[in-house]
Amino acid sequence: MQETVLTGALEDYLETVYQLVQSRKLARVKDIARARSVRAGSVSPAMRRLADLGMIRYVQREYIDLTPLGEEHARRILARHRILTRFFREILQVTPETAEADACAMEHSLSAEGMDHLTRLFEFLRVCPDGRKFLSSFHSCPRIQPASAECMLHHRDGTEAIDGKGGTTRSVADLKPGQKGRVTQVSGEGPIRRRLLDMGILPDTTIELERVAPTGDPIWIKLEGMQLSLRRKEASLVSVLAA
Amino acid sequence: MGNGSHHAQEVTVALAGNPNAGKTSLFNALTGARQHVGNYPGVTVERRTGHYEFEGRRYNVVDLPGTYSLTSYSPEERIAQLELLEHAPEVVVAVVDETALKRSLVLVAQLMHLTGRMVLCLNMADEARMSGQKLDIALLERLLGMPVVETVGHKQQGMDGLVRAIARAASQERVGNRLVLGERLDAALRRVREAVAGAGIPPERAGWDAVKLLENDPGYTSRYREKGGAFAAAVAAAARERKRIEAATGMDITLFMAECYFGFVDGLLREVVVRQPREDARAVSDRIDDILVNRVLGIPFFLAVMYLVFWTTFTVGEYPMDWLEAGFDLLGKAVGGLWAPGSDAMLRSLIVDGVIGGVGGVLVFLPNIVLLFLSLTFLEDTGYMARAAFLVDRVMHRFGLHGRSFIPLVTGFGCSIPGIMATRTLENERDRLTTMLVLPLMSCGARLPIWMLLIPAFFPPAWRAPALWLIYAVGIVLALLFALLLRRSILKGEEAPFVMELPPYRLPTLRSVIGRAVQRAWMYLKKAGTLILAISVVMWFLLNTPADVFSGKTEAAALDRAPDSSSVNEPGRSTLTSAEPGEIVGGGQPAASVPGGATSDDAERARAAEEMRRSLAGRIGRLMEPVIAPLGFDWKLGTAMLGAFAAKEGFVAQLGVIYAMGEVDETSDQLRDALHRDYSRLTAVSLMLFLLIATPCMATVAVMRRETGGWKWPLVQFFGLTATGYLVSLVVYQVGRTLF
Repeated sequence: MQETVLTGALEDYLETVYQLVQSRKLARVKDIARARSVRAGSVSPAMRRLADLGMIRYVQREYIDLTPLGEEHARRILARHRILTRFFREILQVTPETAEADACAMEHSLSAEGMDHLTRLFEFLRVCPDGRKFLSSFHSCPRIQPASAECMLHHRDGTEAIDGKGGTTRSVADLKPGQKGRVTQVSGEGPIRRRLLDMGILPDTTIELERVAPTGDPIWIKLEGMQLSLRRKEASLVSVLAA
Repeated sequence: MGNGSHHAQEVTVALAGNPNAGKTSLFNALTGARQHVGNYPGVTVERRTGHYEFEGRRYNVVDLPGTYSLTSYSPEERIAQLELLEHAPEVVVAVVDETALKRSLVLVAQLMHLTGRMVLCLNMADEARMSGQKLDIALLERLLGMPVVETVGHKQQGMDGLVRAIARAASQERVGNRLVLGERLDAALRRVREAVAGAGIPPERAGWDAVKLLENDPGYTSRYREKGGAFAAAVAAAARERKRIEAATGMDITLFMAECYFGFVDGLLREVVVRQPREDARAVSDRIDDILVNRVLGIPFFLAVMYLVFWTTFTVGEYPMDWLEAGFDLLGKAVGGLWAPGSDAMLRSLIVDGVIGGVGGVLVFLPNIVLLFLSLTFLEDTGYMARAAFLVDRVMHRFGLHGRSFIPLVTGFGCSIPGIMATRTLENERDRLTTMLVLPLMSCGARLPIWMLLIPAFFPPAWRAPALWLIYAVGIVLALLFALLLRRSILKGEEAPFVMELPPYRLPTLRSVIGRAVQRAWMYLKKAGTLILAISVVMWFLLNTPADVFSGKTEAAALDRAPDSSSVNEPGRSTLTSAEPGEIVGGGQPAASVPGGATSDDAERARAAEEMRRSLAGRIGRLMEPVIAPLGFDWKLGTAMLGAFAAKEGFVAQLGVIYAMGEVDETSDQLRDALHRDYSRLTAVSLMLFLLIATPCMATVAVMRRETGGWKWPLVQFFGLTATGYLVSLVVYQVGRTLF
């Protein structure tokens, strides 16, 4: 075997196969070629190399599936791509098109270590309160911020993609007594939402479920040295990521 | 409000802060007894004002309702806002629980938009110190640009510093706004403020209006939009800024502004907190909660506490109640003795039976009320009340009530008056009104004599206990159903959030508990007393005035004429004389004090019964007959019901008079026999239901009027319950008649 490491081009192919398998179960060479805008002839050698690496396998002559190893690699590549895109869009605030192009150009040339550290920076800026504060003053700094800030972010896809550990969000009320969670979102509207926010239940606050009433409702939570009771209905407006 | 006012001799000071921050105890400590507690017009929110003197100036203090924020969502918040904007106090004292700085300072930040002269009062400083927290007060003063003082309100510590700080703030120029909410929000607010100022709003208000327009407060936005022109332009400017912020940050405006305020407070605390409180500062309180709010022990403990409260209120309260009753007895006799023996003087009867009897009958509840409020204030101040609400909220909420409604409702089994007053612990107006309105359905202690008279008269022994139990159950079920109905109809509206703070357990001081209980008892006396006096007099006239004398006249006219007409000596118009054992004067031994014993008792009673029949009340009873006949009642029951309006237990005494039994109580077998002879069991059932549901007593009406600050709700309650009682009795009686 001449290659043990995926090249940039192979990574792109793997990513494409992954996306096709996600949507259609199996990937055909013809579809891969169309997705990557290359001739079908150039796909086959790449596929052979991927098969040699144990990333894909041929089900039939033209039909390709991912192996578990290939799937894992593809996911990692995709996550890296997403993080880079979001880094360009959310931190550097370039247009979505540029972000997409820059991410594609950059994702293969970064070392694993560099990529890892960049991810950490991204997480720090988006998740850690200190980072967020830094980021917001960076963004509101009039010398850096161009006048056309409005056209930028139209997406609100939450934070689920950032958390690599695969935690899922749930209502505070679904925590176990003694368990802590980080607030990801406070939904609802009108007086109830306002009250929750006024009490300091903001995204990124850590909440602990202290106890539940004997009848199961309301619940009793702890946050920042304060203790509050909420009805389950109100608690369901507060999504947390269990710690 | 401008710069000139700070040299005036009178200074208006407003106390603002979160609920449970200890504002009220600070207010009490500042003003002492020089205070006035009233209601804001049309709402159940208390308005407390008072004053004190310092260095030759008079400081008028207003205690604003406790709020977490200054939105327009709840009456409390609307009032706090209005008070700050319309009355523009010279100094605003922001009262803050020093152990919950972060959340409390957010309100302070909001207040800073509103006013230039503030004092930050860090209350509960002793607890904060105990927790190990240490602040750089001087730095805090500099960063916020306002005097900062530490106090312990309920121990009256630090009051001197507070008074000085207020004086200092009052005499200094308005300080500029030191609020730093981040470039983006500050810039947006600046632009909206310019638009608001363009509409001619003075600068000290423009800042606040800009905040409200930017956060899209529905009240402000619609008011501005309606005015059109430059006002509408300000709304548009706010909308533009809002959209810009939301697009750029990916947050909606409410969240974004909350983040900014908390960001400001975070930054502030990072600088001024020299030492953080220890992690385990609440450990003891938490251990107590592990037991008291335990999933297994919580409810039993709660029930035990409730039992203790009612035992104290009604069992311990019985002694002073007896003394008071005996006192009014003596007073009645003493006053009665001022007239010549055997005198038929109308004035004497008015004073003894009407005024002393009527007001006395209500005043005897005073010990109950004081004891109940002592217990409730104690529970409230220790922090257990919030736990109790937490424990029972599920059940109460199912009927549209709040966890805190439980205690007032159960209190209603004793007496509706303290129950209605206990609803003060409910923060939300709709919750409070719902609870108050259904409260008379809880069968109160004064109705017990009625059940004790009627049930044995009409039911065989085996049925008696279930019948009594059933009457209470009917009351409870109806109360819950009504609560549900009210929340779906006239009191419909978005539920108040049950986002309730659970403060650590605290040991209240004796002085603050007693002080507050006495204050409430005094209010009951002062306000309810005057109205009850008036109703007592009217009731007395109804029961004692022969109808033929005043035929065609209203009782108001009778009231006016009373003093003159008493001198006109007509033989036929003698009233309940000294021989007539009235509820108060009788005392069990009429013979001793009654020299006119020449007539036999029987003849005397017959005369009294005849007089009752001829009295206005009797006349009204007979007028009512066509209306109440479908329920199975005759004029006698109708007349007795008028007595029940004066006080529920009055029904029994009234029946005694009508049946010429003389002095009766619920154990009178003679009366029972008479009743049994005259009425069917079905009538008795119908009657009990009517007495349970209809016509809350006059003391209830008076207290409702006092607590809700108007006649609307007492009337809604009175007529609503009476109509329901009528309907229920009608259906029961008519259906029963066709079935049996």
